Amino acid sequence: MQRRGFLTSGVALAVLAGLGGVRAGAAGREQVAQDVLGTWIRLALELVRHTPTMTPPVASRALAYLGVGCFEALASGDATLVSLSGQVQGLGALPGRTPGQGHDTAVILNTVLDGLIHAFFLNTGPSGQRALQTLTARLARQAASGLADDVVAASRGYGAALARAVLDWSANDGGAVIDNLGFPRHWTVSDQPGHWLPTSKIALQQAPLLPDWGRNRTFALASVEGLSMPDPTPYSEDPASRFYAEAKEVHDTVVHLTEEQGFIARFWSDDPMLSYTPPGHWTAILMQVASEKSWSLTEQVEALALMGMVQADAFIGCWAMKYRYDLVRPVTYIQKLIDPAWTPILITPPFPEYPSGHSVQSAAGAAMLTHLFGGDYAFTDESPAPDGVPQRSFASFNAAADEAAISRLYGGIHFRPAIEQGQALGRRIASHAMALKTRA
Amino acid sequence: MKRLVLAAVLTLLTLPARAEGPAAIPRYLDETATSGVRAVYAGDWEFMVGGGVAAFDCSGDRKPDLFFAGGTGPSTLYRNESAPGGALLFTPVVSGAEIDRVIGAYPLDIDSDGNLDLVVLRSGEDVLLRGTGDCRFSRANEAWGFDGRDLWSSAFAATWEPGSDWPSLAIGTYIDRRQDAFPWGSCTENALYRPQGAGFAAPLALKPSFCALSMLFTDWNGSGRASLRVSNDREYYKGGTEQLWHVDPGQPPRPYSAAEGWKPLKIWGMGIASSDVNGDGYPDYFLTSMADNKLQVLAAGPETASFKDVAFALHVTAHRPYAGGDTQPSTAWHAEFQDVNDDTRPDLFVAKGNVGEMPDFALRDPNNLLLAEADGTFAEAGDRAGVASLKTARGAAVVDLNDDGRMDIVVVNRNDGAELWRNAGQSIDGQPLGHWLQLALHQPGTNRDAIGAWIEVKTGDRVQRREITSGGGHASGQLGWWHFGLGAADAAEVRVIWPDGTAGDWARLAGDRFWDLSRNAPPAAR
Repeated sequence: MQRRGFLTSGVALAVLAGLGGVRAGAAGREQVAQDVLGTWIRLALELVRHTPTMTPPVASRALAYLGVGCFEALASGDATLVSLSGQVQGLGALPGRTPGQGHDTAVILNTVLDGLIHAFFLNTGPSGQRALQTLTARLARQAASGLADDVVAASRGYGAALARAVLDWSANDGGAVIDNLGFPRHWTVSDQPGHWLPTSKIALQQAPLLPDWGRNRTFALASVEGLSMPDPTPYSEDPASRFYAEAKEVHDTVVHLTEEQGFIARFWSDDPMLSYTPPGHWTAILMQVASEKSWSLTEQVEALALMGMVQADAFIGCWAMKYRYDLVRPVTYIQKLIDPAWTPILITPPFPEYPSGHSVQSAAGAAMLTHLFGGDYAFTDESPAPDGVPQRSFASFNAAADEAAISRLYGGIHFRPAIEQGQALGRRIASHAMALKTRA
Repeated sequence: MKRLVLAAVLTLLTLPARAEGPAAIPRYLDETATSGVRAVYAGDWEFMVGGGVAAFDCSGDRKPDLFFAGGTGPSTLYRNESAPGGALLFTPVVSGAEIDRVIGAYPLDIDSDGNLDLVVLRSGEDVLLRGTGDCRFSRANEAWGFDGRDLWSSAFAATWEPGSDWPSLAIGTYIDRRQDAFPWGSCTENALYRPQGAGFAAPLALKPSFCALSMLFTDWNGSGRASLRVSNDREYYKGGTEQLWHVDPGQPPRPYSAAEGWKPLKIWGMGIASSDVNGDGYPDYFLTSMADNKLQVLAAGPETASFKDVAFALHVTAHRPYAGGDTQPSTAWHAEFQDVNDDTRPDLFVAKGNVGEMPDFALRDPNNLLLAEADGTFAEAGDRAGVASLKTARGAAVVDLNDDGRMDIVVVNRNDGAELWRNAGQSIDGQPLGHWLQLALHQPGTNRDAIGAWIEVKTGDRVQRREITSGGGHASGQLGWWHFGLGAADAAEVRVIWPDGTAGDWARLAGDRFWDLSRNAPPAAR
């Protein structure tokens, strides 16, 4: 029997209901801190959905910095943890807790999350701003309840300094400014056959999303320069060619789609502004499983940091490849050469095809979750349920990632090589974060 | 030689301002400051949407008076004192319609007594105000059995279902306003109020409900029966989509299904405008949103409820400011098709304004005046016409305010004063606009204004078809004269398809006049 998922569990709701107040001793403070973490992460996922700039790459960046910030909030007061400072790209020394002053982890964590979420979701709409105001006041009050004033003050001061340091670190990574919702104001599509062409009649999307994202600073990955993957299948319009056959496979799959394949495609659709996006989806899985396994606060923030960095690196690496190859989408090719009336069942994302972003980041995420929770952890993913999408069960994280990857073929938005090679790329990228040292 | 000159003069007199080339750009005069209107739609989060205006005659002089939503302030009613063809002039009146927390309003003769009533949408209990003449109103919720609930109402549409003496009212609602931390997914129930005796039965839930910001009863397929279109804000629903409902007499409402051709569309739906843009005889629908807008036409004929978006092809995406210097994507609210230059082609006005200082969207977002061109595309002319206000617009009405047959514009702005522009009746280069008709429909008994009728206006080979509706736009509605541009023609053939499907006779009506079209009676010039 699975426990209820984190998004609907009492963990996050307890604080909102005013149940997260003073509890006796360390266990009580641990629970307060977990409530703080769960509630802020839940809000962050909603803000991913409700902040217009939060396309999947941008969301992955925000979640990575949130995770690192949370981890460092604890690492600064726990000798068994090893700071990521000096281990990940561009992260120098971070402020430490002032010796001799009492600190409270829940207050620090709340202050860090408050500062980072306000900053990364600065552009959210009126309801997001209102939610931020509400939770800022509510969680600050609850995190501090029962603590001495000097401890609260010292903890908030340190949390604010740490949040500021994380924001300073993030400021020059290349992804801090998103203009025009991520679409270049000027873009010339290639006139060479086989290259990406706009796939929608939305005016903004006549240019592809975030063409420079692959130049951003990575986290655990040293750089994208060393990344490589097999070239996509050589473009050809010859009906006897391999490329044509791959396009025909997409066409035929959609035409003969089974009900189950349709469910799978929609389950992993993870469209921006309509979902938590792929990195948010995998973060929700992480939080759900952490709740099911009753993970400690330390384990949760460690996982959020590692998962966040893996996802962010996966998007940076994937985007570097997408714009290296600039491959045409199936809908463009199929409507031109196979079936003018054919349409995919998913919305074709407005950027080049190869490799599949969902395949890269799902494989990377599953590799990290396997590293953290083990390779045979069966779970039921409930995160898309609020949108009326039936939950799905998986024998392992890798099984979920495999399904996420193939869902893009079922959805008619990727050729098979983008999926298979994308998964391989994702696993290679994840290995870098898995090599980080987080424990003494 | 004389005959040739005379012929040339006659030709000039009968041609539209521009027989060829781009559509004539009407000149609009900003008469806000002298109009006497001082209406402000004020408020924070609970009033980030809404801000409607109702344009209708409550004084009996056949000119539209204006009722403004006030948000946190009281709503206000202005009597129209404009002289025919003169400057816009309004006087505030005490009407009994001064209510706070008003989001928007729609005029409708609910009880068919000849006085227009008001459906007032609120953040709080909705109120039906019975018009008692001379711009006086009284609350009628209790007398008409109307349960106004206590929600955040944001959309309205009305129809007379076949065989009903009273209208059916659809009211769309928005977010559960008590949800301060996690409002997403908290859309409250939309409702259908069907008649029961001399009033309304308990509201029927239109489930699922997805945070509606506009509704419209419309006969999308010419079946003679109105369906309910609902445009929903994807920001707040989970698992939602745009909706089309069957509303069949005696049957519970039910959504159109995928098997019937209805495809999910998820947009920040904020407003609906309808018009037969492509001339196929069926209404097309402009749906306002953020960073993109949709113009939907039937994709496969009237047999399936399948629509395709032609906004990009017709240059009507209106997705980014075209004036004012701000280049971030736009936010669109009220939309309305009206022929503002009287060239026989309905043009499109769109009210624009940021939701609330969202930095990824234009903070200085000019309203659009998209003129229909002869080739079927649209061209932006708001700045040249003089209506490209950079204030934060919400609701609006494009309506003849000064009885000269030209379409004026009133716009409600959030936390700022409403604006009024008078159509000068000329293009910006001084040429006269086309001829026009103003038509009012009258039925004996119930549904006196013939909601659900169609008006057909024929000039030469062109037939304009217009569905008479109550609803749509953004929190704003109007009822009164129906306007048609005639272009070069100084007269038109006109007929009415009455709500029960009965086609009236064609009648030739002289242009540049107001005509009352009464069922079973010859047209009468006002």
